[in-house]
Amino acid sequence: MKKTEDQGNRGYPFRGHYSMIRMFHVRKVFGGNVALRDINLHIRKGEFAFITGPSGAGKTTLLRLIFGADRPTSGHILIDGINLGRISRKRLDLLRRKIGFVFQDFKLLPDKTVFENVAIALEVMGERPSFVRKKTHQTLRSLGLEKKETLFPLQLSGGEQQRVAIARAIVKNPMLLLADEPTGNLDSDLTKDIMLLFRTIHMKGTTVVIATHSKELLDATVQRKILLHRGQIVGEA
Amino acid sequence: MRQLAYFFRQALANIKNNRLVHLIGMSTMAISILILGAFVLFYVNIYGWVQDWGGSASMSIYLHDGITRSGLERIEQVIKDCPAVKDYRYISKDKALQELKDALGEQSKLLSGLSSNPLPASFELEISVPERRLETLKKLAGEFQGLEGVEEVQYSRAWVERLRNTLDMIKVLGFVVGGLLGLGALFIVANTIKLTIYSRKDEIEILKLVGATDWFVKGPFVVEGMIQGLLSAGAAIGVLYIGFLFFCAKKTIFLSLAVMKLQFMPWNYVVAFVVLSGIVGAIGSLIAVGRFFEMARS
Repeated sequence: MKKTEDQGNRGYPFRGHYSMIRMFHVRKVFGGNVALRDINLHIRKGEFAFITGPSGAGKTTLLRLIFGADRPTSGHILIDGINLGRISRKRLDLLRRKIGFVFQDFKLLPDKTVFENVAIALEVMGERPSFVRKKTHQTLRSLGLEKKETLFPLQLSGGEQQRVAIARAIVKNPMLLLADEPTGNLDSDLTKDIMLLFRTIHMKGTTVVIATHSKELLDATVQRKILLHRGQIVGEA
Repeated sequence: MRQLAYFFRQALANIKNNRLVHLIGMSTMAISILILGAFVLFYVNIYGWVQDWGGSASMSIYLHDGITRSGLERIEQVIKDCPAVKDYRYISKDKALQELKDALGEQSKLLSGLSSNPLPASFELEISVPERRLETLKKLAGEFQGLEGVEEVQYSRAWVERLRNTLDMIKVLGFVVGGLLGLGALFIVANTIKLTIYSRKDEIEILKLVGATDWFVKGPFVVEGMIQGLLSAGAAIGVLYIGFLFFCAKKTIFLSLAVMKLQFMPWNYVVAFVVLSGIVGAIGSLIAVGRFFEMARS
């Protein structure tokens, strides 16, 4: 019988479970500063959750750990049953293809067009050029960016850049979408539009985790809120 | 295949975007290849000439100007009776001068200033194949040297053998110089690619964040280095060939009595040069991008 990855001990102990994110006693120290301490967190598949707290509470650090951009100083993190502490670099690369990340500073490439910025997420997966073109056009159209495809990021407004960043994160139909202060620089109308977009993505089955300190955003939602303070989870609502 | 096409697309775009850096890198690398190419060209010609000439062992018996008819006949008889001599011919002083004039062609005017014929009469011997060993030739030359009326005996093998030894040393030197120039080229490519990597570090970061494997990121840089190597070699070989056509192709070099017709390096050497330069470029690039990844992770 063929041995599956679930049976092996290469970071896949819980395939077929209902958890998207599990964190066990996670601690992260930068230099001498403790950014996160004893974080225990469970986010189910298909859940929509906010991570909130004041600036410096550790929201971005938490998202980066979930994304595998940083490694915890101690503790374990499981994403879709995969233990990030045990997987190889290559497997982490492959896992990232299933995770969309909307960065606070968008991280768009200024010398590439809107289309190229979004298509890059599919190109790294080795998709056929015809599929890349079709899916990228489709995603940009769904975000109202079809007329901006040939423009460069610096020719766009803040809200448009944000939507391009979201387009790049969702074009590959991720199982998990992480967003770091996605409405930080937007006015309230644009904030509503962006949140509507996240809800639509969530409705399609993607687990969504948003880090924000926007009171306006949190007041307008009934979704789960995880409160971070000085690197610790201090409450949930 | 799809990824390879992507690597080439990206590599060409990178070269276009960083054309000045690449132009400087390629020029420097081309100079290294040009030096090595010139060295190989020199070696190929000398080696080819030694092979051609060294294969036909000959011996020249130069005669005193005042040799008598009977003395000449005595020497000819000794040559005729010698079993090691396959063939021979007598070259008089006048004939020797005429042959030199013919060989010099247009440059024979150089000889017009001579008041008398300085060339000696000689017997040119062709030694039979089994006797073409250095020791046999040495012994034979000693015997001829002892004859009355003989001024000097020269035989090709002696200094062909010496030249072969020198060529062996040149070959070793060539490997050392080639190795050093290869290392230099590697260093040049690594640094050129390093510059382009740094100009694209944001893009690399984003590629990694959206799930690109290390090879997906490295691939275009490796292709970029390979293209740099190939273009540098192409340019260097081109310049070398033009230089060869301009300076050497129609010239004939006289080394003692042997004539050396210069030729460009064979096409398989040219292919080897281009392919090796491409490989050196790819390796140099791989080193640079590998270091960048190491640094980014530390």
